[in-house]
Amino acid sequence: MIQTLIKNEPVIAEKKASYPKKKNNKIILEIKNLKKNYKDVCAVKNISLTVTQGEFISIIGPSGSGKTTLIRCVNRLIDATEGEIIFDHKNLLHLNNKELRQARAKIGMIFQHYNLVYRLSVIENVLHGRLGYKSSLRGLFGVYSDAEKEKAVEIIDMLGLNEMIYKRCDQLSGGQKQRVGIARALIQDPKIILCDEPISSLDPSSAKIIMDYLVRVQHDLGITIIVNLHQVDVAMKYADRILGIREGEIVFDGSPSELSKEKINEIYGTETGELILD
Amino acid sequence: MMNAKQEYIRRTKKNKIITNPLTPAKLGIFSIFSFLILLTIIGFFTINSKGMVINKAIFEALEGFKNMFFRPKSTRFDLAEGMILVLQTLALAFITTLVGSGFALILGLLAAKNITNEKLSNAIKMIISFIRAIPTVLWVLIFAIGAGLGAVAAVVGMSFHTIGYLVKAYSESFEEIDGGVIEALRASGANWIQIIFQAILPSSATYLLSWTFFRFEINFAVAVAMGAAAGAGGIGFHLFNAAGFYHDIREIGVIVYLVLAVALIMELIAIRLKSIYHIHE
Ligand SMILES: Nc1ncnc2c1ncn2[C@@H]1O[C@H](COP(=O)(O)OP(=O)(O)O)[C@@H](O)[C@H]1O
Ligand SMILES: [Mg+2]
Repeated sequence: MIQTLIKNEPVIAEKKASYPKKKNNKIILEIKNLKKNYKDVCAVKNISLTVTQGEFISIIGPSGSGKTTLIRCVNRLIDATEGEIIFDHKNLLHLNNKELRQARAKIGMIFQHYNLVYRLSVIENVLHGRLGYKSSLRGLFGVYSDAEKEKAVEIIDMLGLNEMIYKRCDQLSGGQKQRVGIARALIQDPKIILCDEPISSLDPSSAKIIMDYLVRVQHDLGITIIVNLHQVDVAMKYADRILGIREGEIVFDGSPSELSKEKINEIYGTETGELILD
Repeated sequence: MMNAKQEYIRRTKKNKIITNPLTPAKLGIFSIFSFLILLTIIGFFTINSKGMVINKAIFEALEGFKNMFFRPKSTRFDLAEGMILVLQTLALAFITTLVGSGFALILGLLAAKNITNEKLSNAIKMIISFIRAIPTVLWVLIFAIGAGLGAVAAVVGMSFHTIGYLVKAYSESFEEIDGGVIEALRASGANWIQIIFQAILPSSATYLLSWTFFRFEINFAVAVAMGAAAGAGGIGFHLFNAAGFYHDIREIGVIVYLVLAVALIMELIAIRLKSIYHIHE
């Protein structure tokens, strides 16, 4: 499966051509009436959302609109104040510790600042993605099975990090670090990957490489991608579906083609033409 | 247009803008320091020199130094015995550092805000700073009440202060760690113990190592002193005797060279360790 990924170069063009894709309509994630208050700030107000398997969703909105909060509520890095999150037929808010670990193992996450252990090598960081499946003791000593190591090598190869495999992560460029981040999420064998501004710390060409990899992951592995983005143009180029969030509420939910200039200005609360788009 | 927010801006009498206004805290620190400097100056002029002739005193001191450093000779132990004595002192430093760092590792993890919680962290840090505030020598004497002066009191007392010192150093190293790494592993389903061993310890290993080594050097110095003050044996006890009973300055010279040699070797080891673990910071 991963072998095909490497050869499949013109994925994006292909994907765009075939859009709208036939969806299998299998619901993977359902958010119902989600609410999150921080003391006196209401960051997310009553958001409901249904995500089907294999979608590529971009969440856009001004900073402070609640994108990060929403995405972190999904894997319970942040505990929601109210509402339901149903992932893979389980209500995540009613799980005990062990069940939550199991659910989290099936949810990958990619961060703006990569969040790698910089003193460890690329392969060690990638293998961290398996900790959620391990007993405390095995995980603690970093004991991984041969199959896990083989898979790590395969994924590292797919992300073009072959030469870096034993390099310490502090020696990598930003784009390479983010690819390690993707590899760490992929080895989890996730059903969904959450990305919180994955390209905001990268130069444009590295950003493009990262977005292309995310599309491949969606297209070839069928993994659902939800990505918070700062850049509206990037969201329009890559996503199947765009969510516009403003002050903790969804104000737009549709395909990129439905996202008009007026809608963008509504999301960002600017007058027509004020927002710079190139 | 200039008068909008003027009420927040402080100026001197000459209408110049003040950039760092005097706070009560700054005033307090300033007055304490002034007081201490004043005391030092007064103390210097009121020393009771008991009819000491300054020229003669300097000459005798230099004579002493000459005998100590250029004519070292021990009459009460030979070189092999001297080395064994130094090793005893080193062993004292080693065991107290080892015991101290073991306890400090566990307590340091519990005292790091980003690993446990604020309440537990503050509670541990408060107790630890109390332990640290009392000097090592005093701890040894306190434990000597129960155990009697000797090696046992020295080991327990020194370990105790080492814990106080290293918990602070370790927990601060842990708190330096980028919270994002912990979050990333938590998000993938890792549990606390896995995160500690796979992310926190690898990220802070070099800091832990250099703090521990630093404390080992301190403990070596303390161990010399404890040999003298608490009868813990080792080279310190002989130093105490040579200085206090025999007034044998040439033997003190030998002891000083032995201690210096150990310090030098430790420094070399520290440099070696640092290059192995690539401490670039
Ligand atoms: N830990 C927190 N404590 C208090 N307020 C927070 C916290 N995190 C976020 N907020 C507030 O919640 C709102 C939404 O923030 P966030 O989800 O980070 O938005 P975005 O990711 O869209 O920039 C903001 O008003 C922010 O100030
Ligand atoms: Mg954000």
